[in-house]
Amino acid sequence: MNAIRSIWRAAPVVWRPTSFNCTMRPLSTAPVTIQKPTEQVPTTIELDKLYKRVELEMRGIDPAVLLSYSWFCVAAASHLGIEVTKSWALRKAEKERHTLLRAVHIYKKHRVQYEIRTYFRFVHLQRLTGSTCDTYLEYIERNLPEGCALKVTKIECQKLPEHITPPDNE
Amino acid sequence: MSIFIRNYKPGPLATLYKANIWRLNSTTAESSVKKDEDEEEFRVLDILKKRDKQQKRIVRRTDIQPDRADRMTENQNWGNVWPGPKTFHPSSVPLPLRQGYVPAGQAPPAKKANAELMKIPNFLHLTPPVIKSQCESLKQFCTEWPTLLNSEEAIEKHYPVEVITSDYCHASPSIRNPLARVVTLRIKLSTLDLDKHARDKFIRLVGDRYDSSTDLVTITADRCPMRAQNLDYVNYLLTACYHEAWNVEEWEKDKTEDDMEYYNWDNNASKKSVVNWYLAKRNEQRDLTEDEYRSYDISVIPNAEGYKSAVSSLMNDGESEETVNNYGKAVRKLLGLPEKMVV
Repeated sequence: MNAIRSIWRAAPVVWRPTSFNCTMRPLSTAPVTIQKPTEQVPTTIELDKLYKRVELEMRGIDPAVLLSYSWFCVAAASHLGIEVTKSWALRKAEKERHTLLRAVHIYKKHRVQYEIRTYFRFVHLQRLTGSTCDTYLEYIERNLPEGCALKVTKIECQKLPEHITPPDNE
Repeated sequence: MSIFIRNYKPGPLATLYKANIWRLNSTTAESSVKKDEDEEEFRVLDILKKRDKQQKRIVRRTDIQPDRADRMTENQNWGNVWPGPKTFHPSSVPLPLRQGYVPAGQAPPAKKANAELMKIPNFLHLTPPVIKSQCESLKQFCTEWPTLLNSEEAIEKHYPVEVITSDYCHASPSIRNPLARVVTLRIKLSTLDLDKHARDKFIRLVGDRYDSSTDLVTITADRCPMRAQNLDYVNYLLTACYHEAWNVEEWEKDKTEDDMEYYNWDNNASKKSVVNWYLAKRNEQRDLTEDEYRSYDISVIPNAEGYKSAVSSLMNDGESEETVNNYGKAVRKLLGLPEKMVV
């Protein structure tokens, strides 16, 4: 058995050079054919989008955290050279109230009220290019603290489509 | 105690206390003896293990390190100490923080073992120098806004179409928010190339999506499940409305004066009567057709221009004190009557 194994082990050493060459030949020709299409430069250049205005709406359960987060957003925008037009908060929280009976089955006059408060903060940015906007939003969204939500409204400005021209009847 | 014993006289009451007193004496004597003869201690059965409890001591490690916060230098790089978002840890923050609700007059609890500080999300990883350095490295992915588009008018002139979309980022079981599919397209009607008929038809086609006070057409689509589909649909709607507005159907020629969306003085009876009055004044007898009435040049009639604008504003803007007064003045001027006397 050992003898067979030793032959088995030794065998590849003998045939390897020939088999290697055989496999290399088709491979060596293949990259030449692949290289040609990669040399072609893509004809259409993807243009950057233009965002006239970007509106950030933050909502959360803790106004102090929202304030810190809006400071962070404004600081990041100023370092990246983005214009911040407005930054404000609602004066009062939005309250969602539920009124329940204090005792489950009786005493209808005695109720208890629970409420969920949601605090809001808004930041308006203007004149961002597509790549700036993507970078900035990625950075901000990755640093969103716990218990906060972010809504980003992007107002993109585009050219009038070419087909929107008066039809020539004559 | 010895004095008490010396003066002690046996009596009827003393027999009651006898046992107690002697027991007391015996215990004090025992303790003093114990101190002297330490080696030969009388072993007492200690069932409640009172002696062991007293002798227990807390074993303190001598090699314990001082707090990390105390060993920090002032010129350290804080970004390396606190690189990412983390729950508050008192040994890593060299600040004398206090947080918590206490009755008036007391100091809030310090930072160690303070659950209040651990509950709230902190921004210790986003200090101003850290934000600045991170933004410096992010700046390579940003591009400048075109310098020529430096005003609202310039943007509106070259890029008149506004496409409004929303992205949502929040904690929820799904990262997808169905509201993200909504797409709104907004365009100023004056930027579209439309003639008089097409403009009128376009406004009728879009209905309440046109706001006459701001001259904006707003088309919102949320009927498709994906944003790209809604975007295509919005563009389709704009294109379809635009080209339909340019179509003139056969039945549109049946439009009468009652169907007009605004009052045109040239097409109305008011002009006819003014022209007739003018011709009669000049003793000319002419029978004019409808088209001739319409194309009659009113600039030859003195003060007719003012009368035209007064009547048009009265009919188009509605009856108000100002328009009625203007109308009265215009009529007086046209007919050559004196000004109204103010008494």
